[in-house]
Amino acid sequence: MGSRICAAVFLTLSLAVAMPVPAAEFPTKEVQIIIPYAAGGATDLVFRALAASTSKYLGKAVVVVNKPGGAGAVGVTEAMQARPDGYTLVTAITPLTILPHQTKTAFTYRDFEPILNVVQDPAMLQVRADSPWKTLREFLDYAKKNPGMITVGNSGAGGGVHLIALAFEKAAGVTFNHIPFAGGGPSVTALLGGHIHAVSVSPPEGIPHVKAGKLRIIALFSEKRMADFPDVPTVREQGVNFTMGQWRGLAAPKGTPPDVSKKLHDAFKQGMADPAFVKNAADMSVTLAYLAPADFATLMAQDHERYGKLVQEIKK
Amino acid sequence: MLESLQYLIGGFSLATTTQNLAYCLLGAIVGTLIGVLPGLGPIAGIALLIPATFGLNPTSALIMLAGIYYGAMYGGSTTSILINVPGETASVITCIDGYQMAQRGRAGPALAISAIGSFIGGTISIFGLTFLAPPLAEAALAFGPAEFFSLMVFGFVVLSNVTGTSLIKALMMAVVGLILGTIGLDPVTGDARFTFGSTYLLGGIEFVAVAIGIFGIGEILVNAAKPAEVLEQRVLVPRFRELYPSLQDLKRSMGAILRGTGVGFGVGLVPGPAPVIATYASYMLEKRLSKHPEEFGKGAIQGVAGPETANNSATQSAFIPLFVLGIPFGPVTAILLGALLIHGVTPGPLLISEHPQLFWAVVASMYIGNFILLLLNLPFVPLFANILRVPKKILLPLVMFLCITGMYSVNNSILDIWLMLSFGALGYLMRKWAYEGAPLLLALVLGPKMEVAFRQSLMISHGDFGVFLLRPISLIFLLATLMFLLIPALRAVFKASRKRAVSEA
Repeated sequence: MGSRICAAVFLTLSLAVAMPVPAAEFPTKEVQIIIPYAAGGATDLVFRALAASTSKYLGKAVVVVNKPGGAGAVGVTEAMQARPDGYTLVTAITPLTILPHQTKTAFTYRDFEPILNVVQDPAMLQVRADSPWKTLREFLDYAKKNPGMITVGNSGAGGGVHLIALAFEKAAGVTFNHIPFAGGGPSVTALLGGHIHAVSVSPPEGIPHVKAGKLRIIALFSEKRMADFPDVPTVREQGVNFTMGQWRGLAAPKGTPPDVSKKLHDAFKQGMADPAFVKNAADMSVTLAYLAPADFATLMAQDHERYGKLVQEIKK
Repeated sequence: MLESLQYLIGGFSLATTTQNLAYCLLGAIVGTLIGVLPGLGPIAGIALLIPATFGLNPTSALIMLAGIYYGAMYGGSTTSILINVPGETASVITCIDGYQMAQRGRAGPALAISAIGSFIGGTISIFGLTFLAPPLAEAALAFGPAEFFSLMVFGFVVLSNVTGTSLIKALMMAVVGLILGTIGLDPVTGDARFTFGSTYLLGGIEFVAVAIGIFGIGEILVNAAKPAEVLEQRVLVPRFRELYPSLQDLKRSMGAILRGTGVGFGVGLVPGPAPVIATYASYMLEKRLSKHPEEFGKGAIQGVAGPETANNSATQSAFIPLFVLGIPFGPVTAILLGALLIHGVTPGPLLISEHPQLFWAVVASMYIGNFILLLLNLPFVPLFANILRVPKKILLPLVMFLCITGMYSVNNSILDIWLMLSFGALGYLMRKWAYEGAPLLLALVLGPKMEVAFRQSLMISHGDFGVFLLRPISLIFLLATLMFLLIPALRAVFKASRKRAVSEA
């Protein structure tokens, strides 16, 4: 009896392994998203919500697995090594194009097929409401006359907002004194306490204090003005040709069949438009910005090159 | 003051939702169990339960984890009194008079007075947290990188001075923690340091693995190495009706309870493993103030009431520096800080204004939790004490199993388990040779913060070291540090010279 069951199980298993799964039937089981960060962080919250709203469009459950560690490198490496069958995806966020320049990683963005971009958060500089600089011009004039004197906090050395602030000082022709903090919260706290002059942040960091009138957005790096602050002009409107933000999207290991990628893309795109997800995103104050695979690939390539140069610069 | 009350009422409405009440109760029960179980203290206990909170919102998670912390203080006295084995380190001192009381057939009143004292001390201390934390948080904005650095230097020296018996050994452990804390990405340049090309080490040493390793696995090994009879001796469990203390007992304990509350509250506000120090301080105080100091060590009820009150009071006030400065002063609050970060909440001067619901709901839950624990501990002590009847050949493997599965669920990483087991082996050796784990764990958590604060200060001052001396708050902490370092040295010199004077005369 026991041996018969064993044989049956073995037969089924070997059939399952041997039979190629036609893409027309994808997905036949649940799809897994590896999140290379701890549960509860911003990326985790966004993609958990997206996974929940996408399941019904994909026809199978989308499950989230957190594999934090190594500043995100552990989870991304695991996803890169997963079978490219569409059942294992990974969140591709800005650091994917930063980390490979900072340290020897097994991967770059080229090891992945972009599925779609979901979120693009504007980056900005904030100052205290009682600071002497009321406009971008006053701020930059002071910075030009006093190079290295304005202290600008960021959420971590080599992190997105640090490199964005570096890129901005280049575009504007000024030099700041960059002070790294362990996260956006502590840098905003130091600004409110008057220990630094400005912070480089992405929403929601600092936003409640801007709304409360304690902080001011002095330089906004997005392409369009923010819905919450229609009176705050972007730096591009004020003559500094510069836009940069942080993105969060989804990617699959290289070699995933194109029709499988397309199915995934279509399902997640529908999931993004789902009212439940849109409401969730608004509650988390993240800016949804859909990008098709080709555009997402261009964005990653462009940022990979940009961050490569910036990282070389801080290493000097 | 009035504003705080309004917020607190809002906090109560949040803390009394079915879900949050359930997590508060769960935390209290788990805490009591962890307190009762020798070999599993609040540090390993909270670290183990962090993964269980991943699906929860941060408020419910913190309500439960905080409940474990103060719950353990209630549970810890049980084993001290009944079998002369402290359930966790903050109940070591309770063994002295608590066990003597039990030997004289007064286990019931000893257990009851511990629970009553814990409740009074805990509740008064939460009042302090309620009304002091918000104004202190506003003042804490004055803390910039230089102030934080000097505060942490001060914290390390105080911690090393008060833990264990040897200042040198404690400082050594702190240095080991500091060195381990440098592994990973450099906080200022983003370069990989001491990772030896390993992707796993890029994010630094996982502090949960160190915590469960040293305080969980290490303790299991220590217990496993002990001869069996130590743990499996006959347990004298009192019956329910024997629990009531006499009027005489209450009268004699009241002063000790009130003084213990004050001592505990104060100790919780300064660096160090607050509940442990509070118990020693309170015991010494009671012995000194007593008209019959000869009773101490022979079953004096004040020797139970004072320390057991003080450890609970210290537990609650230790939340003030965590919530207000974002700096943990002891190993347990360091673990709670880690748990908050995992949930995307960064404690600091802005916590109360940015997450008022979280803060006030957790504070409200502490009032409720202490009440639950009083109800739980008075009638059910005999029930909890029954765990001690589980033979350790069953208990220890069970706890080991919990540690391994708990560790895996933090990051879903097998390497974390190996790291934890390695620190378990280290923890066993440390216990054997009397090295304290607390300075190591705290240094691992605070080290990177301290390094960042130091380098930030110098970056802001363009390399001028004067920044640490020119800012008044920073200067005060540095002077206090110097004093703490010099006192033991001066005392030694003084003793030596007096000896010489005596021998010369």
